[in-house]
Amino acid sequence: MQINVRRENGACRLEIEGELTIYHGPEFRSCLLENLPGCDETEISLAGVTELDTAGCQLLLAAKREGLRLGKQVRFVSHSLSALEVIEQFQMAAQLGDPLVIPAQR
Amino acid sequence: MAKTILIVDDSASLRQVVSIALKGAGFDIIEACDGKDALSKLNGQKIHLIISDVNMPNMDGITFVTEAKKLPAYKFTPIIMLTTESQEAKKQAGQAAGAKAWVVKPFQPAQMLGAVSKLIMP
Amino acid sequence: MSMDQALQTYIEEGRSLLEEMEDILLQLENEPLQDDDTVNALFRAAHTIKGSAGLFGLDAIVSFTHVVENVLDKLRDGELAVNGDLVELLLKCRDHIALLISVVAESGELLDAEQERTGEALLAALRGLLGVAPMEPASPTVRDTPVEASGGGMMEGDCWNISLKFGRDVLRNGMDPLSFIRYLSTIGDIVSLATDDSELPDLAQLDPESCYLGFMIEFKSEADKKTIEDVFEFVREDCTLRILPPPSHLAAYIERIEHASGNTDMIGQLLIEAGILTSHELEETLAAQEKLVAQESGARVPVGELLVKEGVVQKEVVDVALEKQRQIRDHKAQEAKFIRVNAEKLDELINLVGELVIAGASASLLAKRSGDLVMHEATSVMSRLVEEIRDGALKLRMVEIGETFNRFQRVVRDVSKELGKDIGLEISGAETELDKTVVEKIGDPLMHLVRNSMDHGIEPGEVRTATGKPARGTLRLNAYHDSGSIVIEVADDGGGLKKERILKKAIERGIVSPGQTLSDHEIFNLIFEAGFSTADQVTNLSGRGVGMDVVRRNIQALRGTVDIDSEEGLGTTVRIRLPLTLAIIDGFLVGVGKSAFVVPLDMVLECVELSEADRKAADMRNYVNLRGEVLPFIRLRDQFEVNEPAGKRENIVVVQYGGLKAGFVVDELMGEFQTVIKPLGSIFRQLKGISGSTILGTGEVALILDVPALVQLSVASESSMAE
Repeated sequence: MQINVRRENGACRLEIEGELTIYHGPEFRSCLLENLPGCDETEISLAGVTELDTAGCQLLLAAKREGLRLGKQVRFVSHSLSALEVIEQFQMAAQLGDPLVIPAQR
Repeated sequence: MAKTILIVDDSASLRQVVSIALKGAGFDIIEACDGKDALSKLNGQKIHLIISDVNMPNMDGITFVTEAKKLPAYKFTPIIMLTTESQEAKKQAGQAAGAKAWVVKPFQPAQMLGAVSKLIMP
Repeated sequence: MSMDQALQTYIEEGRSLLEEMEDILLQLENEPLQDDDTVNALFRAAHTIKGSAGLFGLDAIVSFTHVVENVLDKLRDGELAVNGDLVELLLKCRDHIALLISVVAESGELLDAEQERTGEALLAALRGLLGVAPMEPASPTVRDTPVEASGGGMMEGDCWNISLKFGRDVLRNGMDPLSFIRYLSTIGDIVSLATDDSELPDLAQLDPESCYLGFMIEFKSEADKKTIEDVFEFVREDCTLRILPPPSHLAAYIERIEHASGNTDMIGQLLIEAGILTSHELEETLAAQEKLVAQESGARVPVGELLVKEGVVQKEVVDVALEKQRQIRDHKAQEAKFIRVNAEKLDELINLVGELVIAGASASLLAKRSGDLVMHEATSVMSRLVEEIRDGALKLRMVEIGETFNRFQRVVRDVSKELGKDIGLEISGAETELDKTVVEKIGDPLMHLVRNSMDHGIEPGEVRTATGKPARGTLRLNAYHDSGSIVIEVADDGGGLKKERILKKAIERGIVSPGQTLSDHEIFNLIFEAGFSTADQVTNLSGRGVGMDVVRRNIQALRGTVDIDSEEGLGTTVRIRLPLTLAIIDGFLVGVGKSAFVVPLDMVLECVELSEADRKAADMRNYVNLRGEVLPFIRLRDQFEVNEPAGKRENIVVVQYGGLKAGFVVDELMGEFQTVIKPLGSIFRQLKGISGSTILGTGEVALILDVPALVQLSVASESSMAE
């Protein structure tokens, strides 16, 4: 997994590339703890997520809750197919609260 | 992308039959004939599940599982232990080492496929 | 790669493993002490041949090799020692496995009969080494685990309710809840799934490798509970799993419970049999129960209650199972403990036993007279046995008093309504037993006492509240055994008896004289006197004068006594004491001329000799001076017109009945004896002073005196003469 971080004017964009699984959980968590508090808006792109597991999902939920707690915006965008599939399986769309774009080919 | 399963057993025929069944379900298979051989296959490549026998020459299954769990890239890989009904103690040892799933020998290919499907999807 | 190719691999692999076995066995023959690896390799060879055979469904190979493997396992563990015979046997087994592989695996055929026999013989020898019976279920051949169809019919939109809470470590163990939920969706439809993240900590506290999630799943499936539970078998130890069947299945489960075989009366087994509980769930619940017992020192929560509390099984199902359990137990208990017998048959038996007692007594008497010691010995043994039979037979007729007590539930309810009082009935000692004949006769006196207590004993609600008592009055019926009698208590927590009023009334009625000093107890017992009623107002129920005296008479007719205890303001207890049975009497045998009479022992106070002076004086009057007291008496000789002349000496048997004393003048005192009462025929009903008869060992008849009637008679005649 690789996370590209771009910050400008109090906004932040995280792009996750690769597996978002238990193996990379600590890394993702540190990245969130580093960026969320300092940015009014954090956009996390899941476009490059090739695999998502329960540990990854937990972190998505926790990130969303952290945003609410700090009064900051945390958004997940551009969900990849793998990510969508898991979110759907867990029926977690409402809990995450972001609009999911269902790709046309499905 | 198909998921990869490592199967470790000293019986070539067992490996073959299991391979046939799991490949049919859409998995990629890597075979190893004992613990030592299996460890050498844990070389950084992505492996989603390990199926391992207990009693093998060179390195037995319990030692192999213990070693595999020490490798950062495989410490969370689910492991199915092949146990025998009479070897409850081995099953316990396997669980303690980190192999939380098991299939009792002798088994039919469909039973193996069922156990695998509970842990990973193709 | 195809299965055929894999089978070829198996055959080749088998051959090379067999060669290895042969080598090792031959090594062992030469040098029995080999290192562990060598023996282990031998074991592994058999193990591998067996394990792979299972994959191809080669059951014949699996079952034979399984036994060989077990023997090798023992060899490996050092439980069996290597010797020539063992190696010889194992070599033969090796050859048989080789035969099996070439015939069964290679040609796909079966062994011929001759070869089968060789195999059987080898197996028998192996089992001999294992020390197991040859009937042991041979081996774990490859088993199918069929997915059972559910018994309950499916209804649209009717779902299983699965609640899952994972342990923290499941992710670390490589078990991903996501996979189980995916697998679940292959055996049915996940209608809805709610992720419970209530335990998810803040990001800073969160351990990314721990699992904090739980899931509530509405699941539509034809699978049975066991199949659903098995989806989670690998995380079963690490998660809390609750699987509640769809409501529409409940009826089917309930029906299954209701039609349970009755093989078990354990609640858990009943539920498992119906398929609503899995054995794993039961084990968990039982473990939880043990834990609770350990924690709360002794208090064992019933399994059914725990299952409901933990949400494992719905309450309505457990209730049905509990009811079924009760039925099964009742049924078993009845089957085991009771047979229905016609009461008449029982009476007949007891009657015959009575005859037997009498005949036995006669036999022992004759034996005694004959002076034949051996004969005497024999008859005394027989007498003892006959007595035991008699006691046993009488016990057959014993019934619990509970049923009689329970009839009063309704009475108390109805009467308290009628009286406008709130009265509760408490029953204790319902299991106390007494003779059926006594039970039949005790109903009326009890009814009278109960009504009396409710009417006069327990105060109206407002009076009770004013005196600080609970508004609801309590009536207690209690029974217990006390030295060969049964005691029945009717107690109330009412106002108690008022001594002054009783005394005043007794004086008014001339029952006691004004100067007489009486103990509290004596005063209370005055209410049993004829024509005594203290109720200020006459109600519909009691207090019409036909009161307690009738009760006492009825009880005395049963050879019982009645007694009263009371504390003003606190309540009254009436205590009835009855013999356990009416069929036997402890009697005191007396003789008048050649006739014999029996006086019930419990009424005998003492025996005194009638002095010469008294005898003379007694011709004129019917009383004697007994230590300064007037004792009226009856001469049984006169009463029953015994014609033989009186003997040299006469005795007085002093009896007491209902507070009155009287004496019976007899010739001879023959001592205590226990006897079976034979009721008098109806033509003797008119006879005054006789209540029954019995037959003595000599075959003679002895009459049982009706003491109450005779006492009345003597007191009456004494007072009439005094006038």
